[in-house]
Amino acid sequence: MALEVLLVEDSKTQAAQIKETLESVGLRVRIAYDGPDGIREAVENPPALIVLDVKLPSMDGFQVCRRLKRNPATQDIPVIMLTEKSGPQATMSGLRAGADDYIPKDIFASEHLIETLQELGILE
Amino acid sequence: MAQVTGPYSHRPPIMSVRVEDAMDIMIVRDTTRRAASLLGFPPAYRAQLSSAAATLAELVLKTGEAHTIHLNGVIDGIKVGLQMSSETPWLAGVSANNVLVALRSKLGDLVDEIMLEGEEPPTIIMVMWLHNT
Repeated sequence: MALEVLLVEDSKTQAAQIKETLESVGLRVRIAYDGPDGIREAVENPPALIVLDVKLPSMDGFQVCRRLKRNPATQDIPVIMLTEKSGPQATMSGLRAGADDYIPKDIFASEHLIETLQELGILE
Repeated sequence: MAQVTGPYSHRPPIMSVRVEDAMDIMIVRDTTRRAASLLGFPPAYRAQLSSAAATLAELVLKTGEAHTIHLNGVIDGIKVGLQMSSETPWLAGVSANNVLVALRSKLGDLVDEIMLEGEEPPTIIMVMWLHNT
């Protein structure tokens, strides 16, 4: 059975694009459109991986990541932040929040995402 | 133009990216991730290194000068790392100390070492060591 990824992304267009990339390598994708929903989904039905946007309504991705990493039910789930914020401060904020990778949304994003999935053992 | 090599011995990978416009910054980021991956840096450190290299490329591009970012493996005893460097003619005549303070303030969290080497032109060198990961 294919591993499941929880994608936390408020933009429906971007969520569809990322979902397509993840499904193209055989993963199943569940989408949450804001931080609180993402946390609830992760706790209730822990996925193999969480792909998290930074810019989210009500609670940003850094806060979501910190909460996931503090919760024993979700702390071991790898988190990849996939984001438009690519500066040094944002990168360090993401990694300090506990993200396993921090990938800017640019033309290489899909490629980098798949490489990291392989590195984390999500893909063979 | 003589290439300043920094204080450490070089090893593969040895890559360079010519930066002429904003699109090239993405290529710097991508190339840095690949160089870091070849040296065995895990994903989170690749993110740090690529952010540092992209920021350096952006800083230099803001001066309006095309430039080249050099990426290469470095060795110091048993330590292996990735070095990123760029010649910065626009820094000639500027206090090296002030430049280093500014760079360390902006990029110090992302890499282990930031140096300024040579004078004609000065070269910014940043290194992250694999053993720290």
